Amino acid sequence: MKHVLFAMVILGMAMTAHAGQPAVSVSDARIRWLPGDLPMAGYFVVTSHASGPVRLLGATSQAFSDVMMHRSLEQSGVTRMAHVDFVDLAPGEPVSFAPGGYHLMLMGRTQELHPGEAVPVTLRFNNGQSLEVNFRVTGVQGE
Amino acid sequence: MRVCAATARASGSRFLVVLLVSLLVACGQNEPPWELRNISGLMPALDFTLTEASDGATVHGKDFRGKVVLLYFGYTHCPDVCPTTLALLNHAVKALGANADQVRILFVSVDPARDTLAQLKTYAAAFGPWVVGLRGSEADLREFTRRYRVSYGYGKPDASGAYEVSHSSAVYVFDREGRIRLMIGSTDSAPTITGDLQRLLAETPGAST
Repeated sequence: MKHVLFAMVILGMAMTAHAGQPAVSVSDARIRWLPGDLPMAGYFVVTSHASGPVRLLGATSQAFSDVMMHRSLEQSGVTRMAHVDFVDLAPGEPVSFAPGGYHLMLMGRTQELHPGEAVPVTLRFNNGQSLEVNFRVTGVQGE
Repeated sequence: MRVCAATARASGSRFLVVLLVSLLVACGQNEPPWELRNISGLMPALDFTLTEASDGATVHGKDFRGKVVLLYFGYTHCPDVCPTTLALLNHAVKALGANADQVRILFVSVDPARDTLAQLKTYAAAFGPWVVGLRGSEADLREFTRRYRVSYGYGKPDASGAYEVSHSSAVYVFDREGRIRLMIGSTDSAPTITGDLQRLLAETPGAST
């Protein structure tokens, strides 16, 4: 009986882990540093390894009071930013958050940040899943 | 240049020879194409009255004669496109090596309400020695942007008062004499920009139109 209970606990833990962590991988996660408290952009490449569709809903971070998903758009030679409510990830197809396109807009620093540091940012997905990713802070040149 | 060669091969009759000669003369007069978009003569010479963020001094377009000038309009609360563009320009200028100091990147704020001189100063300095932060009154800015057909607009402020600014993405390139020459678009690479800047820097004053 003891073993069965133990097995149930283990199973329960495994299921919790499964519900919390989406089957996605994130690479090249970085934030381009800007001086003062200017909003900064976060970039990364996210790939879903799930069999079904996965939806990226946004991000949060202790280091910022607000994080939004944005997309830069250029129309007739004019650049503007648009809010993005979600990004759908097709299985096995990497989606790039990169300069001039999708990016996280990180606003209101709660701590001083310097190039070379790492900042944890939690990406939020559908079904309540989330993934904490360390973003490297680069210099203004993105190096 | 390829057009000239093709005509040479096709020449058979006296008429074609005459055509070929005139084409060769025409080819000789025309400069080879630029990698960037050539907008020579399509805009007025570099002229403005703005405040330089680094020292608060009033500066005019003519103060930059002798330098090749890259003119870009943006705002510091722009997390993505403005720093990306400035980084690209910086990268291209840095590749000029010893000649880099012959170039200035003018970053003109289209958001003077939030871009104080102090803020612009810190911002421009973070990007390096060739970036000059410039700020103007709304009236000066309007006159300047109208002259270069640069558009900008402000989005609705959110709950915290933050707002986005839409603005022209082009970078204008002026030669040492302040004449408009080239336009850098968002798809142009740093080596492309460096190559054309080298050509502009090599020009003898007064030689080009």
